[in-house]
Amino acid sequence: MKTIKTNHPVTVGIFVFLGLVILVIAVFTLGNQKKTFVKAFAVNAVFNDVGGLQEGNNVWFSGVKVGIVKKVSFYANFQVLVTMNIEKTAAAHIHKDAKAKIGSDGLIGNKIVIIYGGSVATAPVAKDDFLTVEKALSTEDMLVTLQANNKNLLEITNSFKSITKKIDSGSGAIATLLNDASLSNKLKVTMNNLQATTANFEAASLNSRNVISSLQTFTAKLNTPGSLSNELVSDTTVFNNLRSTAIKLKESADTAFQFLDNLKTVSENLNRKDNAVGVILNDTAVASSLKNTIKTLELSSQKLNEDLEAAQHNFLLKGYFKKAGKR
Amino acid sequence: MEPDSEKNKLSQTKKYFISRRIDEFFIDIHNVSKFIVRFFKEAFLPPYEFQEIIKQCYEVGYKSLFLISLTGFITGIVFTKQSRPSLSTFGASSWLPSLISIAIIRALAPLVTALIAAGKVGSNMGAELGSMKVTEQIDAMEVSATNPFKFLVVTRVIAITCMLPILVMYTGFIGMIGSYLNVHHNELTSYRAFFKSAFGTISFLDIFSSVIKSVVFGFTIGIAGCYQGYYAQGGTQGVGRAANKAVVIAMFMVFIEEMIIVQFVNAIR
Repeated sequence: MKTIKTNHPVTVGIFVFLGLVILVIAVFTLGNQKKTFVKAFAVNAVFNDVGGLQEGNNVWFSGVKVGIVKKVSFYANFQVLVTMNIEKTAAAHIHKDAKAKIGSDGLIGNKIVIIYGGSVATAPVAKDDFLTVEKALSTEDMLVTLQANNKNLLEITNSFKSITKKIDSGSGAIATLLNDASLSNKLKVTMNNLQATTANFEAASLNSRNVISSLQTFTAKLNTPGSLSNELVSDTTVFNNLRSTAIKLKESADTAFQFLDNLKTVSENLNRKDNAVGVILNDTAVASSLKNTIKTLELSSQKLNEDLEAAQHNFLLKGYFKKAGKR
Repeated sequence: MEPDSEKNKLSQTKKYFISRRIDEFFIDIHNVSKFIVRFFKEAFLPPYEFQEIIKQCYEVGYKSLFLISLTGFITGIVFTKQSRPSLSTFGASSWLPSLISIAIIRALAPLVTALIAAGKVGSNMGAELGSMKVTEQIDAMEVSATNPFKFLVVTRVIAITCMLPILVMYTGFIGMIGSYLNVHHNELTSYRAFFKSAFGTISFLDIFSSVIKSVVFGFTIGIAGCYQGYYAQGGTQGVGRAANKAVVIAMFMVFIEEMIIVQFVNAIR
């Protein structure tokens, strides 16, 4: 029977075992992280420029890592075919009309492939499918925009420089404002006025608020069921009566209008001299003649009265008048 | 024939190919090559000294664990502390786990472990074999029909070659733990987030290149230590010289190999 003389083999065994356990854990952690042991299938995308994308770089969908770049190779004349290994579990969420673009993990991080978009109406992506590619904004593009911005900034600062020079030399309205004390005082007064105006505006707005509030109260009363105004607004019977009244009023107005029209015609006729009343009213000669006639008539009637008085005292008619007086 | 007899022959004739030192350097290379070839021959031919290999594994591996773990832990903490200001300058301290994992797994773990092992194990081998050599114990073993090369050299070289990768695993793990503690203390990063970020940037190639490197470093330390000790001469002073040369040569070779392996790995990457 074999006996172990020392504890060395056991110790060394445990030591080696633990070391290997660390290695295995590291390998499995790494494999899990790199999705090495996850079921995946290949999906392709053809780019004009991959901007330094390498095999093993991550593939993201909606910000979640769903695979890695398996292969980067030339395609046709100048394009680049990128083959990606996409996890089967994630494939159900990526649809055939999803798009791919090259991005980066952070501002200066590793290059990644970003898959985005896709409609639910389209089928999920399948093995060896080609995704539509969209040109992403590269760092160079951003730098070009930044350069344009820099140029604009330079122009702005140059303009500002010339403005400040002018101000400093004392030419222009701003320089006057800065240097002339009376102008600044006037400005101060203007500002005070403006402040007062603003206060007035504020008061006006307060009043208008009160008016609006009153209007609100009024409309609330209008909306109160049973009130006259509410019935006027909401009761259809009253409204129909009002409508018929209005129609009648209109008819009356029409009649009045006709009457006025006739009256106008009459007055016009009165102003003319081709009728009897018109001649009387307008012709002064006729008027004076008529006046004389009336005067003559008056005299005649006086004389007739005297004559009739004399007739009453006549013996021939005296008996008649006595009888009439007794009746 | 021993290497020194060849050197003596060279000095007696006084006819140098280039100069004495340069000629000796190339003779040393030749002798080391023969030593390595002999190692492989003896390693694959029976009888095998398993018990001695296990004993040497214990001495080389287990007994170095504490020292190497401590060094790894300190390395992890210090490297993280030193890297933080640079990354914080442009607000990228969240990249610390990635940076540390790359540094530790790709370079620091194998290199620090190899340097510590060269200092501790290489010098130990040089001194142990050197003292056996100068006290003629090795000759005595030959006389007693024991193969001293197989028993002393092969077992030690195999032990350090096998144990160094294991020690590198421990150093890497403990170094990462040290780094995590520092990152957690400063950024309150969770354990899960730290290791997820750390493993996000490294690849299988990094781990395997690290293992391959440590095997090569272990073999180099073993060969350098054993060669210097096995051919030591000149009494106790010779033992000291052998131990010193074993450490210096092993460390120097570790750096040279590191550079060459990194070039190879980068070519593959």
